[in-house]
Amino acid sequence: MDLRAGDSWGMLACLCTVLWQLPAVPALNRTGDPGPGPSIQKTYDLTRYLEHQLRSLAGTYLNYLGPPFNEPDFNPPRLGVETLPKATVNLEVWRSLNDKLRLTQNYEAYSHLLCYLRGLNRQAATAELRRSLAHFCTSLQGLLGSIAGVMAALGYPLPQPLPGTEPTWAPGPAHSDFLQKMDDFWLLKELQTWLWRSAKDFNRLKKKMQPPATAVTLHLEARGF
Amino acid sequence: MYKSWGWSNVRERKEEDEERGEKEWGEDTAVISPQDPTLLIGSSLQATCSVHGDTPGATAEGLYWTLNGRRLPPELSRMLNASTMALALANLNGSRQQSGDNLVCHARDGSILAGSCLYVGLPPEKPFNISCWSRNMKDLTCRWTPGTHGETFLHTNYSLKYKLRWYGQDNTCEEYHTVGPHSCHIPKDLALFTPYEIWVEATNRLGSARSDVLTLDILDVVTTDPPPDVHVSRVGGLEDQLSVRWVSPPALKDFLFQAKYQIRYRVEDSVDWKVVDDVSNQTSCRLAGLKPGTVYFVQVRCNPFGIYGSKKAGIWSEWSHPTAASTPRSERPGPGGGACEPRGGEPSSGPVRRELKQFLGWLKKHAYCSNLSFRLYDQWRAWMQKSHKTRNQVLPDKL
Repeated sequence: MDLRAGDSWGMLACLCTVLWQLPAVPALNRTGDPGPGPSIQKTYDLTRYLEHQLRSLAGTYLNYLGPPFNEPDFNPPRLGVETLPKATVNLEVWRSLNDKLRLTQNYEAYSHLLCYLRGLNRQAATAELRRSLAHFCTSLQGLLGSIAGVMAALGYPLPQPLPGTEPTWAPGPAHSDFLQKMDDFWLLKELQTWLWRSAKDFNRLKKKMQPPATAVTLHLEARGF
Repeated sequence: MYKSWGWSNVRERKEEDEERGEKEWGEDTAVISPQDPTLLIGSSLQATCSVHGDTPGATAEGLYWTLNGRRLPPELSRMLNASTMALALANLNGSRQQSGDNLVCHARDGSILAGSCLYVGLPPEKPFNISCWSRNMKDLTCRWTPGTHGETFLHTNYSLKYKLRWYGQDNTCEEYHTVGPHSCHIPKDLALFTPYEIWVEATNRLGSARSDVLTLDILDVVTTDPPPDVHVSRVGGLEDQLSVRWVSPPALKDFLFQAKYQIRYRVEDSVDWKVVDDVSNQTSCRLAGLKPGTVYFVQVRCNPFGIYGSKKAGIWSEWSHPTAASTPRSERPGPGGGACEPRGGEPSSGPVRRELKQFLGWLKKHAYCSNLSFRLYDQWRAWMQKSHKTRNQVLPDKL
């Protein structure tokens, strides 16, 4: 995030003012429940870790698929990937998401993605690749748990999968091996995009959940600092 | 239009996509025939890419092929008709990756119209060299060597099968890769006293091969755990000896067998092990002829010999964890005592003592763990050291 010069000055001025004003401010409740802050931070950290893990996993997997899948400028058509949860979203829409919706979208996306990943049953893949995939799935499961924790702390209900709408990305019998490779490619890409987006989502949530001192700062800001 | 992009540029890519609008693709675009064929190395392939007529302006004109990302020379392709481009490949090499070679048909502008995976390799060769062992008669682990050809290009599936000789039903092992890539572990439900027939089947897209059948009796391939509680300690002040003690592996204690042991030891800095063989059914041993003031590493292993009265040896266990101990430092002779070698420092021995020393030395070399001679030797050595200090040349009465 880029801070414009004006912001930095404003913030610095506010901080100094806050420090001066503190004794006059009613005692803030610093002890007790830290709130959802730490678990949001943890979730953010997890997405960064997964992003890193995925880079390595994807590299290996795409090498297994062979060129052109592992070439940096590979640009296949997106066939049959409408069922994949899309991370791409209009910037204004993304900004204006309320917390509940933001978290729900993340939770649902990773539930689906985890399911597809588990179904990535490459019979021919090496034992080592299967192990890496399994390891990644476990980490992803951890991320889901972490998001669920944040939602619970904020009092939001977990989205329940409707019966009969379980994500089934089962290819039809005529699904060729090459098409399967393309599906795998897009799954990994979408996963990457989601992790990239989630980091932004949780960073945003983290800032929103700052302790009440921030509210004081903002109030002072309004006085023309 | 197709900028180069890595994983980090996904966002820009997404925006591009949205501007362009999602493309329709699939059966409506083009199809390659044959789809995902399997071929022998060295064979030829005739493929076609047929563009569907629905798309306006769809023509085979300008189509080109790539194989594993590399554009194929135009002389290999020709237009069969307005909507079909043919490709002729000869003398195919084995597949570059086990997921199949990627044969792709591109439109003139480079976009992908259709793809097909080529699996080129050889049928598997017979696996061989199956060896199995049973740990405490509870399970069976087997290892084999794959046949050499056809294994790398195509994915080869190995299946270990076994059946009791006179009972007809084939079973398949399920836990693979337990001790290396070509191994399998059968954890339970093993029968004793009837031989098993064991073999390995290797299968890939081009065929299968079966190893020779190995017949074995579980009781003949039993191994056990290394002896627990190996202790190595000094023998009083004797500077060239260490005493090794261990416990017989508990897992087989209810079975009738005679344990055989082997001990190996080495000096701390060396990689050469000295092995003491033929340690039968005892749980202690004295090592001699060691260097004084030296750290030694000692390991023991066990062989469950003659289980249930069989006359055969079992399979040696793993070596126990190394146990270390050091021999006492040699005592220096008094001032003016001459060389510092503990033995060389002995005063010149009379002929009788020399002979005795040689005799006991011989005994020591040929019967490491013979307690009787050691008792004698110990006494003699202890006496020698004492007498060396007092420069007394008299032989002990017992001798």
